[in-house]
Parts: sequence; C-alpha cells; structure tokens
Amino acid sequence: MKFNHACKLILKNLFLIFILTSGVHGNENVNDKVKKLTLELRCMTCQNQSIYDSDADFSIDIKKLVKQKFHEGKTESEIKKFLVERYGEYILFRPLINFKNLFLWLFPFTILAIVTVFLIFSARKK
Amino acid sequence: MKRIIVISPLIILFIICLFTLFYIIGNKDPNKPPSALLNKNLPSFTSKSLFDNEIILTDNDLRNKKIIINFFASWCTPCKVEHPLFFELAEQYPDLYILGFNHKDAAKDAKNYLKDEGNPYTFVGVDKDGLIALDFGVFGLPETFLINEKGKIVYKYMGPLTDKIIKDEIQPRL
Amino acid sequence: MSSLIGFLALFISLVLNLFLLSSIPLINLSIVRFNFLIRISAILTLTSFFSLMVAYVTSDFNNFNVFQNSHSQKPMIYKISGTWGNHEGSMLLWISILSIYAFFFSFSKKIDDKLKKQTLLIQTSLHILFSLFIILTSNPFLINSVIVDEGLGLNPILQDPGLAIHPPVLYAGYVGYSIIFSLAIAGLLQKEKNNEWLYLAKKWSLISWTFLTGGIALGSYWAYYELGWGGWWFWDPVENISLMPWIAGLALVHSLLMIKGEQILKKWIIFLSILCFSLSIFGTFLVRSGILTSVHSFAADASRGLFILLIFFLITGFGFLIFLLKSPDNSGKINLLFINKVSALVINNVLMIVTTLTILLGTIYPIIVEVITNERISVGGPYFNSTVIPIMIPGFLLMSIAPVLSWQTNKIKNYRYYVIGFILISLLVLFYSYFTIFNPWGILGLILGFWIIIASFLAIILSYKLKLNFNFFKKINSHIAHIGVGIAIIGITCSSVFKNEYQYNLKQGDEFKIKNNKIIFENVETSNEKNYQALRINFVITDKDRVLSTIKAGKNYYPTSKIITTEAGILHQWFRDVYFIVGEQKNNEWFIKVYINPFVSFIWLGVIIMIYSGFIGATKR
Repeated sequence: MKFNHACKLILKNLFLIFILTSGVHGNENVNDKVKKLTLELRCMTCQNQSIYDSDADFSIDIKKLVKQKFHEGKTESEIKKFLVERYGEYILFRPLINFKNLFLWLFPFTILAIVTVFLIFSARKK
Repeated sequence: MKRIIVISPLIILFIICLFTLFYIIGNKDPNKPPSALLNKNLPSFTSKSLFDNEIILTDNDLRNKKIIINFFASWCTPCKVEHPLFFELAEQYPDLYILGFNHKDAAKDAKNYLKDEGNPYTFVGVDKDGLIALDFGVFGLPETFLINEKGKIVYKYMGPLTDKIIKDEIQPRL
Repeated sequence: MSSLIGFLALFISLVLNLFLLSSIPLINLSIVRFNFLIRISAILTLTSFFSLMVAYVTSDFNNFNVFQNSHSQKPMIYKISGTWGNHEGSMLLWISILSIYAFFFSFSKKIDDKLKKQTLLIQTSLHILFSLFIILTSNPFLINSVIVDEGLGLNPILQDPGLAIHPPVLYAGYVGYSIIFSLAIAGLLQKEKNNEWLYLAKKWSLISWTFLTGGIALGSYWAYYELGWGGWWFWDPVENISLMPWIAGLALVHSLLMIKGEQILKKWIIFLSILCFSLSIFGTFLVRSGILTSVHSFAADASRGLFILLIFFLITGFGFLIFLLKSPDNSGKINLLFINKVSALVINNVLMIVTTLTILLGTIYPIIVEVITNERISVGGPYFNSTVIPIMIPGFLLMSIAPVLSWQTNKIKNYRYYVIGFILISLLVLFYSYFTIFNPWGILGLILGFWIIIASFLAIILSYKLKLNFNFFKKINSHIAHIGVGIAIIGITCSSVFKNEYQYNLKQGDEFKIKNNKIIFENVETSNEKNYQALRINFVITDKDRVLSTIKAGKNYYPTSKIITTEAGILHQWFRDVYFIVGEQKNNEWFIKVYINPFVSFIWLGVIIMIYSGFIGATKR
C-alpha cells in the first residue's frame, strides 16, 4: 500500500498548489479584461467566431463598447448582462448558469459521479 | 435497473430526433437567431432628424402608437430591395408610424438615397455611430421591428422584407 | 453521357442490393454468389462515383451539379476534389466508401459464413437507404435544362489541398464504423456464442479510427492555416460532431483490448459498436441538414434534412432496438481490482463515454432550448473546456501506466521508478514555470504530457527486451500510441496556454522585433493566378542577422464568387510557429497580426504517431 499512499500524497499536494495558484491574477489591466471577455462572446455576423478574433464591423463596435464599459468601472457580469439584454444569450459562448441551462452544466459531473459510485459498489461486492 | 440502462439509448435517440424534427419543421434558421427583445419594451433612445438637426425624437414621443422601425443605410444593397414595400405599408395603414433609422451613414449619402428611392418614413432618425442599433440588438442591415400601442416589441425580422413576410407576419399584427 | 452512365450504375446497384435483401426468404444464395454480387454492387457504385468525377474533370456543364459547383478555370486537383466538395457528390462519396468497405469485408476469411452473410446483408440495407436518399433528394446526375458553357465555381475556401483530401479520409473513418455496426447487429441476431468476430471488429474499428484521426487532423490543420484565427480547434459544432465518434471509437478499441485478458464486456462492446456508427450518421445528418452554425459552413436544405433524419432514426433505432431485445449476457466475470488492467480499461471507457455524452449534449442543447423556449443560446469553447478537460484528466494520468498493469493482480512491477518519475517531472515543471510563466493549466498539461511520455518509455524499458525488429515495435505499439498522445498534449497545452499575440500597423520597409527575431516588412506583391488574384506581403525573418526565412501572408480574391480568403503565412519551426495574418489596409499602412504559437508542430507529430500505431495495431491480431 506504500505506492497508493505515495500517489495520494502527491496528488493532494499538486491539487493544493493548483488551487492556490489559480486565484493569482487580480491585477489585470483593461486590455486583458477586454480580451478575456470578448474571447467568450460570439460575433453575431460571423460563423461561430469570437468577437476577439473577428475583424467584422460588429465585432469592432462591441470591442469598443466593452472597453468603454470597463473604463466606466463596470464589471464583467454587468457587461454580459447588458449584452444579453440586447442580443440574447446567443452572444455568450459560455452559457449562463441559470434554470434553463442547469441540466447542461450539471449533467457531465452528475453522470460521472453516478457511474463512479456504481463502479465502486460493484467492485466492493466482489 | 438493467432494463432501464439498456432502454436509455432508445429514449435519448427518440428525444434527439423529436427535437431536431421540431427544429427543422419550425423553419428555424441557424443564421437568424430569435431576437432577445421580443415582448420587451421599446428601448429608450434620442435621435436627431436626418433633415433638421433641431428636431429630436425620443421614445416618449411614440407612446400609444403602432410603430414599425426599420434600420437602413445607403450602402446596404438589400435595403434597396425592401424599400418600395414601406410605401405600400404607408398607403395601407395611414396611422402606422414608420420610423427609419439611418445606420452608420453619411448624411449626404442618406439624403441622396431617400431622394432617389423616395422617402416612405414618417421620421428618419440619425444613428451615426450605431449606438441606437446597439440598443435594439441590431447586427446586420436591414432589420425591422414592429411595436404595438403598449410599447412592446411584437415582431422582428432580419434581412429584407418580402411580400410574404408582410402578409404572413406583419399584417396580422397590425 | 457520363451523367447517364453514373445514374444507371447507381440505380442498378440499388436494384441489385434490393434483390440481395429480398433474396433471403426466397432463395438460398450460396455465400460465394452472395459475395460476388456484393462485389459487383461495389464496382457499380464506384463506377457511378467515377463517372461523376469524369464529369467534373471534363467540366461537363450539362450536368447540373458540375455547373453549380465547378468552373473550367479551376486547377485540376480542385476539379477532382470538386466531386465531393458539394452535398450531392459527398453523399455519393459516402455510399462509395460504404461499398468499398463491403467489398473488402467480403474477402475476410476468419469468420463464419452465416455471420458474414448476415453482416453483409445489414450493409446492403444501409446501402439501400443511402442510395434512395441520393436518388430521391440529392441526385448529382441531374441534367442542366439550359445549355451553358461556364460553371458557377467552387467555394474558394474549399480550394485548398488539405481540404481536398479531408472528406474522403474523414468519411473512410465514419463509414468504416458501418462494418462494426453490421457485425455487432449480425452477432446479436445470430446469438453468436463464438467470440471470433471480436477480433475482426477490433481490426476494422482500428482502421476506421485511424482514418477518422487523419480526417479530423486534416480538418483542423486546414482550420489552422486557412481561417487565419491563429488557433486550430474551436469547439465548433462540426468539429464536435467528428470528435464524438472518434472518442467513442477510441473507447471501442480499448474495450476490444480486453479480449486479450479474456474478460469480455460483450454487451458493452456491442453497445459501443452501435453507438459509433450512430454518432457517425448523426454527424452526417447534422452537417448535411445545415441546422448548425459553423465555420465549416455547408449548404442547407430542409427536405434533405428530414430524409436523413429519418434514415438516422431508422438505423440507430433499429440498432438499439435489437440491442434491447437480444442483448447478450456478459460472459465471464469482471475482475475489478483497485488497480489492474481491467479496472484501468473500465475507468478509461467510462471517462470517454461521459466525454462523448457531454459533447453530444453541448452540441444539441441549443436546438432543444430553442424548440422549447424560442430563445437561442450558444454552447461554445468555454463550456467544453471547463467540462471535457477536467473529466479527461484522470484518464490521462492513468493511460501512462495502464499498458503495463497486470490483468489479474493488483501489483505494478517496479512501481518505485514510476513514482520517482512522476515526482521528478512535477518538480521540474513547477520549478521551470516558477521562473517563467505561471499558469495552472499550463503546469497541469505539461506534467500530464511529460508523465505520459516518460512513463511509457519507462514501461518499455522495464517490461520488454529491447530488440530492433518489427515484432518488437508491434509489441510496444500501445506505448507508442500513448507517447503520441503525450506529445500531442504538450503541443496542445503550449500552443493554447503560452500563445503570444502581437499587432502592428506597418508600411513597406518597416521593421519590428519579436523576442530575438527581427522581422522586416519587405514588400507587397499582387499576382493573377488561374482563378484568383493574390495579394502577398513578404516578411523576412532574421535571427541575429541571419535570414531564417521569407514568409508570404496575404489574401486571395476569387472573382467568380466574389469572396476574399485570408492566407496565413506560417513559419514552421520545431518548437514554435510564427503565424502571420494580414488585415485591412488604411492610409498605406497594413494591419498585421503575428502569433507565436509554441509547440504546434508537436500536435501534428503526436497525431502522426497515433495514426502510425493505429495502422500497426490493425495488422496485429
């Protein structure tokens, strides 16, 4: 069981480091924030392209707007809300976590959990 | 339990086929997403007239009116195609307020365009930097909105209007 | 003329297949005659396909399909690839590949005659369904009603060598699963006790999977340099669709490995066999019905969509119905221990299927939501990145050591080496990233990638006697495949996490520096090619005064279809790609985007290794 123990220990430590480091990006400047947000927005006039990657008129307008809103001190979720009110949730590549999309977000992890429990049980039985 | 697992692929298949069937039958167009503004209130706006900088129109001026709002520009070719249809609408429904927003256009070009093609609009508002279009969720010209007396957006159409669209969608709502 | 021959050949092959299917209750055809007729039908279908190709090559605009999709000024290669560059032709390609598979399958020896006949009969039914689809809704042999001497041209974005061969390779993968589907259904219908057919299924599933890998890789390589967005995978619906049968097929290949351990999850294998082909047809349906927004845009037609939806429903429904009614008992008990080969394979299968289902859900969820609420949502890259990747991670951790686990016991030989290896890698990666760029996903990806490669090498060294002959490479094939995956993971991680992007407004003669490289905007050239006008900017890249290369990036304008395409210029190096895109011109200055994509070549290298070991695996028994 030495091996298992070692494995667990390593995984645990790695996990900790991972958790600790994933929070370390507080001081983003506006351009980074704009990039991060517009990468997750759909260019409505293009075929499945993000606003960030697109040079269409529409994308240029939205990029300007997002930048301006960030300068005004709006948060990412406020800007998203503003855009959703006008263009619908279709503009968001990352679906909102709301009632309608609950199944979408819960499904992968729920089914994984169920199958894992099922497997552990059937292995125990033997 | 085992039975359920074995039958689930069939159920999933059935659900998928049913929904895609409805999607195809419902004539949904992947390139034309339904408007987020449907059944919402008319967004507030303030716009100068194309012909006279002094005249200003706001959403408050349009209370209790049936309105059709059309976003157009002189550089937009499909707009030219639907243009004559607005004359027909104006003739058929004299009470209808036809509001045109001139989108990202030079005033001179827009005036020439309306001179050549005629002006069916009750009011032509200027939307030079596209900010009004943004509030209406417009992203490709032409787009047309239908607003009822209560100030609710009841219909939106992307692309040039056709006789069929006017007959099937717009007239029943007027 | 060729149109007439093509249509007749297609029609006769349909009649022949109908005859074969109806012959069962009437006459008892001997297997030799049966095989013969199957082969004749395949030859007829291919004749039909090649007559369409002849129509394209000779620019026979009497054929309506050629008129709509071709142009006499096109280079020869795109005239040939134009055959399948449109809906009708691509369906003909689909059915041709279906008959090629039936043709080769009819030669397989190690299979009971009855089972073989049953398998080919199901193949025949598939052939009938799809040829009816072609003849009734998408006939490529329609004659033009007016006489014309020029065609409308092929979508310029498709005029590309990578995309020219992409559809045949991809379809060879998709359609290959039909054989496994037919085998599994035939096995169910005959209540086959003998497990010999599983070896056959393994071979064919490896072949299809390998083709599918190649097809997907070609598609994403095309997206990399043709779309000019600097990336190569966009979680686009059409990409997702091809990924689903790929992952399910991977699960199938792995679960078929269990034959070796004599522990067979027969029910599961049959389920996967049906699933793989179902996902393949589903993909064809979604793409061909045009109900998705995609960068890989295709023309849409609702009536065709309905017809192919019906086909999808019939085939998949039939498959799963038989599975429900005749599902076999699992033979043998499963030896699930904490960590042995069986449990590793089971875990891997579970993860892959959950991944497939997640992608499936994400792809069709917008359709479901729109039908119910009349609102449209997008399910894009961010969703898949935050669901699929976490689900896959345990699988990646496991795959490095899985091949050396034992079938029966809980032990790993020399486990200390692996533990030390893992700790060393983790420390090195952490140490390295502490002094360079700190990104948790980057660290995770690098650790996984290196761990898979190093552990696989360790496993080879520790468990086999090194010999440099073909047999040895056959033996360590699964390790090689996993090394390929490791290399690809490193490539994927680096190119997505450590990508750098620079933007400039430049005029001729300007210079700029990226890291140690000086890049000169040398000149702008325009030229008239056979069917387009090209604009290219030459960038000279120097490294310490030594000229590395001149890269041409620009745009093409296709006058026939009035479309402008971006042509990215890429300097491929082993450890990075320098990727140039030319944007708009304003006041004599050009907008230039430059991406530094580290380790992109590793992705393609990894994929090539996977393809190699796929083929080696198919030759193994």
